[in-house]
Amino acid sequence: MITDYRYIGKPTLRKDAFDIVTGKAKFISDLTVPGMLYGKILRSPLPHALIKSINTTEAKLLPGVKAVLTYKDVPDWKAGARPQHVRVLDSKVRYVGQAVALVAAETEKIAEEAIRLIKVEYEPLPAVYDVEEAMQPDAPLIYEQFNANVLPPESRAFGPRTLQEIVIGDVDKGLAEADFVVEGTCAYENIPNPLPPETPGVIASWEGADNLTVWSASQGPHMFKVTLQPLMGGINIRSIGSPVGASYGSKYMSWQFVMPAAALSKATGKPVKLCFKKSEHLAAFTVRLGSRIHGKVGMKKDGTVTFLSGDWLVNTGAFSECAQFMIAVGCGEAQLMLRCPNWSLKPKVICTNRTASGQVRGFGGQELKCALIPLLTMAMEKANIDPVNFFKKNYVKPGDGYYWRDGEWWVCQGTDYTRAIEKGAETFGWKEKWQGWLKPTAVDGARRRGVGVGVHGNADIGEDVSEAFVRLDGDGKAIIHCSLAEHGTGQRSNICKMVAEVLQLPLERVFFTPVDSLVNPVEIGPVGSRGTYAIGNAVIAAAEDAQRQLFEKMAPLFKVTPEDLETSEGMVYVKGKPGAKLPWSKGLHYYGACLGRGRFEPDFSKPNFMIVFSEVEVDVETGKVDLIRVVCATDVGQVIDPPSLTNQLNGCLGSGGIDSALFEETIIDKRLGRIMNANMIDYKWRTFAELPEMELVVLETPVAGHRFHAIGVGEIATAPGPSAVLMAVSNAIGVRLNDYPLTPDRILNALGKVNAAKRRGKQ
Amino acid sequence: MKNFAHYNARSVAEATHLLAAYEGKAKLNAGGSDLIGVLKDRILPDYPEAVINIKTIPGLNTIEENDGGINIGALTKLVDIINSPLIKKNCPVLKETARTVASPQIRNVATLGGNLCQDTRCWYYRYPDGIGGMIKCFRKGGKTCHAVPGENQYHAIMGAKKCFAVCPSDTAVALTALGAVLTVAGTKGTRTLPVEEFYTPLGNMLALDEMITSVNIPKPDPAAEQAFLKFTLRKPIDFAIVSVASVITLDQGICADARIILGAVAPTPVRAHKAEEYLKGKKLSDDTAAEAAMLATVGANPLSKNIYKLEIVKTLVKRVINSGSCLS
Amino acid sequence: MTPTQIKPSLPTLTLNVNGKLHSFMLGEGLHEVSPSHTLAYTLRERLGLTGTKISCDEGACGCCTVLMDGKAVLSCILLTVECGEKEIVTIEGLEDPETGELDPLQQSFIDHTAFQCGFCTPGIIMSAKALLVENPSPTRDEVKEALSGNFCRCISNYHVLDAVIAAARKGGGE
Repeated sequence: MITDYRYIGKPTLRKDAFDIVTGKAKFISDLTVPGMLYGKILRSPLPHALIKSINTTEAKLLPGVKAVLTYKDVPDWKAGARPQHVRVLDSKVRYVGQAVALVAAETEKIAEEAIRLIKVEYEPLPAVYDVEEAMQPDAPLIYEQFNANVLPPESRAFGPRTLQEIVIGDVDKGLAEADFVVEGTCAYENIPNPLPPETPGVIASWEGADNLTVWSASQGPHMFKVTLQPLMGGINIRSIGSPVGASYGSKYMSWQFVMPAAALSKATGKPVKLCFKKSEHLAAFTVRLGSRIHGKVGMKKDGTVTFLSGDWLVNTGAFSECAQFMIAVGCGEAQLMLRCPNWSLKPKVICTNRTASGQVRGFGGQELKCALIPLLTMAMEKANIDPVNFFKKNYVKPGDGYYWRDGEWWVCQGTDYTRAIEKGAETFGWKEKWQGWLKPTAVDGARRRGVGVGVHGNADIGEDVSEAFVRLDGDGKAIIHCSLAEHGTGQRSNICKMVAEVLQLPLERVFFTPVDSLVNPVEIGPVGSRGTYAIGNAVIAAAEDAQRQLFEKMAPLFKVTPEDLETSEGMVYVKGKPGAKLPWSKGLHYYGACLGRGRFEPDFSKPNFMIVFSEVEVDVETGKVDLIRVVCATDVGQVIDPPSLTNQLNGCLGSGGIDSALFEETIIDKRLGRIMNANMIDYKWRTFAELPEMELVVLETPVAGHRFHAIGVGEIATAPGPSAVLMAVSNAIGVRLNDYPLTPDRILNALGKVNAAKRRGKQ
Repeated sequence: MKNFAHYNARSVAEATHLLAAYEGKAKLNAGGSDLIGVLKDRILPDYPEAVINIKTIPGLNTIEENDGGINIGALTKLVDIINSPLIKKNCPVLKETARTVASPQIRNVATLGGNLCQDTRCWYYRYPDGIGGMIKCFRKGGKTCHAVPGENQYHAIMGAKKCFAVCPSDTAVALTALGAVLTVAGTKGTRTLPVEEFYTPLGNMLALDEMITSVNIPKPDPAAEQAFLKFTLRKPIDFAIVSVASVITLDQGICADARIILGAVAPTPVRAHKAEEYLKGKKLSDDTAAEAAMLATVGANPLSKNIYKLEIVKTLVKRVINSGSCLS
Repeated sequence: MTPTQIKPSLPTLTLNVNGKLHSFMLGEGLHEVSPSHTLAYTLRERLGLTGTKISCDEGACGCCTVLMDGKAVLSCILLTVECGEKEIVTIEGLEDPETGELDPLQQSFIDHTAFQCGFCTPGIIMSAKALLVENPSPTRDEVKEALSGNFCRCISNYHVLDAVIAAARKGGGE
């Protein structure tokens, strides 16, 4: 195979690098549109209440105010996963921070003052936050239509057989075969916030009867056409993307900011800009799902899992953005990690009165793994199995099958990750550091070291259809027509590299159209690590198609067949005759561009993989946990851009990833229903001063199905970390911990150093 | 941010007269790192009518040695305290403390006076108005302290009665350990006040027309060991969960004098009197440190979710006694 | 002295940004600067210098970092009216005004792909610039400390450290 690529596998300049380092990159908050108004949202003070009355008279009288909308005035657009259940504004509020009224005004300041002039009377209703309490018969009903606050299974999102549970084989048989059986509850319910630096923002411009132009920081701007258009009465949306000040999955279908801005624009006839403040971003946008498993696992002495059964209780908060889609993917991913013949894992998606969960990097899989792996470790501990050996034995291998999100049985045709696991373990020094379950690696006075490991992978690198055009112009340039938004992974630049490699063009001569649904074919966006494989394949196919057309046009000029031609630097050559060459312009002129078309069809047969090793140091006298060292190991087939890849893998520390085991959490006062830490001091994130040692192990075992044999792994970087840290801390202190985060109070409590008799006040 | 009248005070007299004229409805602004957030989130029941910039007052940003000790102007920036050879030589505990405050950017603007006067970080008190309205708690004239039945993991474990917010100032802890004295100016003249007596359960002793103009630190015994430990989840931007400052004078291994101050455990910095008394005359050892640590928590009355802070207090007190030098 | 003798801030304000002077009327009009405006707001909304980013908007994330008299400060918690006498430098002011050549630090960030989404990058570069002005050859730990008030959620931190150290080396440090 070719290994002397021109660009692939070599570091190249990010196309947007200059704009980023000079401050010229225009993020959504930097954009203005002539005549633009500013939108603001009045937010609910109560977690659950009926609006008895709402008076906007005074707000409307404030000079500069152009519209004040309440549930009585807004279009009846419904959002959320099917059955759509959330209104832009409703007569009932279901969490503190939910939108109650919308204002558009000439300035942000006026809009801010206006929302304070709106008078609302509420009839408070009891609120519920815990999934099991929410399912009780006497629990407050958050939506009339959802009995016991349980959302119905999603039956269509991923096709007619959308996966909503894992039921395979015979659990009783597995029980009989097991040498060890464990049962327990493990949970990941600290609902971390992905918290990209840029707050959610949009400019919406309603034009004529039913045309809406949307400029937004969406990870997949084209998805507004797919998901929002039908929910907004079949209007026509033109969706224009901007650089995304990161998303980590969270800014995607995003009706939460698109619909309010659209309603205000429709009401005023002017473009409306709506950018959330950081407190709104933290308290009223998107957090991870809450995840709790009551489960049972059977294991043989050699680490073979004979069955896994249990209830997976998923807390989606005040509404489901796409929780049922997320459990479909989570259920698929659980099978990738575990070669188990007998399953009965039954998820339930439950509404509660807190800010809603939505999609975040890890998409259901991280939330499931963080509870499922600790459950499995209970069995590993009993069987005295080294977790690295366990993961090596159990991670999906070529030839193994699994039900994916579409409910279909897929057979793995991807990579065997055994080598990645072994190489990662070797780099980390696992053999030397692992002392057995609940045993520290080292003890130095009050400081105890411990190690842990976690895995994750998805089969979504080939999810969904992608379409792209590649246009070759006579002046020797290639233009990629694709609505791929740049959200930090460098993917727009990396796709340019693929095209430059196919056409043997200098990278500077490959261009991307702006992200605009009016000029580009459908693109659901770089999610689920699909950028490299799915989008890459579509664009590569388009480039190959364009090249084929070019050769067809130019073959007669050389009096050869198209197959005899090759191209580089914008010149066409006859193979083996370096002297016989013509520039593209001889075939394309200035008017005859060729437009290649590429399409990728979904393929769920190639799981990707990430294993994360972690070493922590716990101070048992203060309960402080320090993350000392992290090793991530994976196999990507072929590296496209080394710095982009290392950046993405280092990202395992961010975006509600590994630190959700340590200090990231959304803290809710359950008497008030309010999020207490909706600011960037009290919501904890990792600083430069707290960086652990980080090592990355990247193998390149070529993958079939991609011209450059590459697959994506960016999305999955965060998911293995939390359970790895949980394991490491448990080992360091010699006490098993089954939920997160591992803040000092919980460590000291686990160590028996918190004497509850001393407390006052009530829980 | 909502509007306010703005003044650039040219003198202490101007600033204090403006404060008096606005009858409590004006706020002084020095570095702004605390006040601007308070204004943006509209956490106060009454939005200030005026903001008085005091950075324009000359002469309040110097660090000088005088007969009485070290005098630091209230407008001295934390970065200048950190970089001052005079501070490093005489009161390293203050340097080490200032180093742990917030971020480099904030230390470049935040002043010593501002650090001492900053408002509490209690998250009920600080709850932003934009997410359903600010919370009118006891500290704002309301009836209850929501922390008591609520999320009180960072709240007071001792010394609180009606409001369980803790004093967020790190420098107050070090300055109390150093026995520092504040000079306070008002429309009726100036007065002095030990830092130790500056804080009250709901704020501080400043009358509504008063401001701190300088901090005087009596020259510490050169033989005294100064130490500061701050427990946080992250370096450096977190406020303390618990901090401890100590100034301990040893005479041939025997403790001649000890000042041990606990931070972030109460509405005010807390002197661990019992621990101090116990240590005097004792030879310092692991055992005496452990006993002093235990005594430092006597009288504590933690809430439902902050008992763990007691354990951290004990650990930090033990460690400052054992460390014998500045750590952070 | 009576309070009526004490006048509010002057009705005009001159800002020195990237070596250029900009005069404003103080007030609430569309092109005026209000006393309640922060420096970040004025830079972005009045001067169009949108390279300075607003994220947390309360001094906790470093995205709005600019240089004031050579020191890194947070423009979201500074009142514009209080910045009149200061020299402000924003990310737009780092390039050579004559040649347009990038600051070596900016070039180093490009060379090391020391960003992912790039939203926090201008603030990080300004903090790093302040460090290198004061300490041309910092250790890796000193860079970490200098950038400890800058949020980077994508975790480009490791590449940033490499970029800053490399820029310092090129500048004659270490």
